[in-house]
Amino acid sequence: MTDTAILDNPLRAGLRLGRAPEPCTMVIFGATGDLTSRKLVPALYNLAREHRLPAGFSVVGFARRDWSDDYFRQELLDGINANSRSGAADPALWESFAQGISYHRSDFTNPEGYASLAERLNQIDEQRGTGGNRVFYLATPPDSYHDIIQNLGTHGLNHAPGNGWTRIIVEKPFGHDLESARALNQQLLSVFSEDQIYRIDHYLGKETVQNILVFRFGNGIFEPIWSRRYVDHVQITVAESIGVEDRGGYYDHSGATRDMIQNHLMQLLSLVAMEPPVAYDANAVRDEKVKVMRAIQPIAPEQLDNCTVRGQYTAGSVAGKPVQGYHSEKGVTPDSHTETYVALKLAIESWRWAGVPFYLRTGKCLPRRVSEIAVQFKAAPLMLFANGPTSDIEANALSIKIQPDEGITLKFNSKVPGQASQIRPVTMDFRYGTSFGVASPEAYERLLLDCLVGDGTLFTRRDEVETSWALLTPLLQAWQAGQGQPPQPYEAGTWGPHAADELLARDGRAWRRL
Amino acid sequence: MTLTSPNPVDIAAIERELTQLWKEAAEPGTTNHAVTRALTLNLVAVAPDSFSANRMTEVVMGLTRTHPNRTILVTANPAGPESRMEAWVQANCQLVAPGAPQVCGEQVSIEASGASVAQVPSLVLSLLVPELPVVLWWPGHSPFESPLFQRAQSLVDRVIVDSADFAHPERDLRRMAELNQSSTYVMSDLNWARLTLWRELVAQFFDSRGLLPHLFRLDKVVIDYERDPRQPANRAQALLLAGWLASRLGWTPLDNSVSLEGDLVRIHMRRPAPTVGPQAMRLVTIELHPAPVVEDSMDSLAAVRLSATDGVQASFVVERTDDPACARTKADLAGMTPIARIVRATQREETDLLATELRLLSRDRTFDETLRMAGVFARGM
Repeated sequence: MTDTAILDNPLRAGLRLGRAPEPCTMVIFGATGDLTSRKLVPALYNLAREHRLPAGFSVVGFARRDWSDDYFRQELLDGINANSRSGAADPALWESFAQGISYHRSDFTNPEGYASLAERLNQIDEQRGTGGNRVFYLATPPDSYHDIIQNLGTHGLNHAPGNGWTRIIVEKPFGHDLESARALNQQLLSVFSEDQIYRIDHYLGKETVQNILVFRFGNGIFEPIWSRRYVDHVQITVAESIGVEDRGGYYDHSGATRDMIQNHLMQLLSLVAMEPPVAYDANAVRDEKVKVMRAIQPIAPEQLDNCTVRGQYTAGSVAGKPVQGYHSEKGVTPDSHTETYVALKLAIESWRWAGVPFYLRTGKCLPRRVSEIAVQFKAAPLMLFANGPTSDIEANALSIKIQPDEGITLKFNSKVPGQASQIRPVTMDFRYGTSFGVASPEAYERLLLDCLVGDGTLFTRRDEVETSWALLTPLLQAWQAGQGQPPQPYEAGTWGPHAADELLARDGRAWRRL
Repeated sequence: MTLTSPNPVDIAAIERELTQLWKEAAEPGTTNHAVTRALTLNLVAVAPDSFSANRMTEVVMGLTRTHPNRTILVTANPAGPESRMEAWVQANCQLVAPGAPQVCGEQVSIEASGASVAQVPSLVLSLLVPELPVVLWWPGHSPFESPLFQRAQSLVDRVIVDSADFAHPERDLRRMAELNQSSTYVMSDLNWARLTLWRELVAQFFDSRGLLPHLFRLDKVVIDYERDPRQPANRAQALLLAGWLASRLGWTPLDNSVSLEGDLVRIHMRRPAPTVGPQAMRLVTIELHPAPVVEDSMDSLAAVRLSATDGVQASFVVERTDDPACARTKADLAGMTPIARIVRATQREETDLLATELRLLSRDRTFDETLRMAGVFARGM
């Protein structure tokens, strides 16, 4: 963001609120959808409430339904009242914020809709001082991306008039395999340049995820032991307690690998395993993330059953509530082979990580909603203490909890007070809630603000997406072709199929009990 | 929640009493929650009187959430008839989340009067937790001439005052500016922390590429400050805001720059005029206007209006609305639709202001430059 006015504004020096974007207009495609009223607009409202958005900031909702400006605003207000972390909207603030909100009715395929959008944006520039700065947010199902991107290009909306900037935010899923991801990238890049494109993965907006880099590279004591010399293995878990809910039709074509591993878990893995970046800026950080992803050894077809386990939930109960099996969910084909659980054992071929397995697991209808990264260290080489356990003394583990209780825990062994030398593991805990006493902003607030100030560090770059797909696509194709064990049934409300435990037991290890 | 020692404790044994207090707190049945003792700094708080001491204890309790600390709260009355010194210890605990352990800091309250006041600095010194920063918080009238302050200042890393409470704002602001240049400690003013929102809102006008050039054309600034006719005027906050604008924008005061007409203050300055020439200068006037006092407003400012009148007319206004929890901003440029909006402008609790200052680890250079300029203005008043 070297060319923005912010840097030249002498009043910005030493201001405590930090980064502030230039006035701009955000155009939300698919503005009548759930994401807009549940996440995007509550996030924007909270940013405005905390004085992070400039006067003149404007929102244009672009969608097919026959809504008026007033109806659109009312829908958004209802969305804020129901979903904002700051509670119901303040009437005076909302009224002022809503003055910048308007609705633009058009089909995504209709060129006239884009021509009139361009006019509308020019008007807003004049009336609200937004200086030609635009953000396009694709909050539509992915099958509309093509038309929207094409039309934005055709109508010259990919470059702002005057000195303004134009950015585009793309929601996941970012393709469904390597080929489709490449095609989408190519299309985007035929209209926009890479530094205009912000591929959003809301996991990267979470406070603990951002803290991984600060924890690793802002402290002197962890990085020296962050390698094969001291680390036995790493476990990454993203467990959901919900089933497919009303997304059965979509999910049945996607599955846990596409829905979770390709984006969220691969992002977590790359942040934990990457080398120190040369700078904390968007491209330096992403260079290292890509590098480590490239070092992951692809899983060969004959290794499928040694390194992967798929599962599918059957009827059971989660947290005391009965849950139907995956095959009975609406929109799911009764003989579906889509995995609702997947566990992978990955090897990173680098000097730092050779020989250290990374175990990834994610699934639906697991007992609890929990996401964590655990770095399991090697055990002490020798048991000195006569009364301690002789062989199974617990190794140290560092766990980074991403949700729901954000924090970091280090487990180590300690003597139990008393005459005997009894040893028991204890933990050192850091929790966000207790250490800082301030609420963390919602992931979308952080990410939207980042995009508005032009900071792409927490967004996914083209090569990250493609590298991740390049690794997983052969796996998906092999499964598709019937290779490897089919998805194993697991009862809803349990920690996945038995075979997943076997995956670690073969290596003499076990999943953490979460 | 507080756990307090019921009686004054032996001055020589305060540390022992604190240890005892924690031991009792850890015994089962004392509280419903586990307690975690956490200390991140030494806060030496000096209360002007016992009424303020109670209020300050409340503030410290709130601070435990974000900055659990050892507070040494001193209430000194050097004019008291008898020479006396007493101390109490207590734990200040905050339940951060249901089911989580309570986070606790600790507090030693010292009351001294008469000749014993002279012993307070040495007692405070003996009570500081080693290897933790020492912050002196001195609300109320300015501390700079107090013998206690002069003895204490060699112990501290940061001094936090509140110029909104100064009895002689111009004199004290001047003194604060002098001390800030020569001291080894960092000076903070809660009145400056209250300006953060005003500064942010003013700065936001010029984040826009189209409006930024007008920032360098400003020739008049009017700041409306609350003036309570029943009390002497306190223009400290207005002077800080003026000092901030002048120091950020490279404005320099003319000789005899300050003139007063009753409550109205005029400051005459020179600003660079880069579009005219590298050496070119233009005049700027800053005026401080009195305004009625509003209950529950966030601070003592009512409005700031920046304008450029030479050539294209431009004005930028931040002002309080009838609702004291809201402010209005308006940018008005000749030939353009004015851009106005309402923003939240709620009063910030003292705990919050203090916590913000404590979060800063180093000197706030912007404040240093602002204070130097405000000191120059105050000298002319």
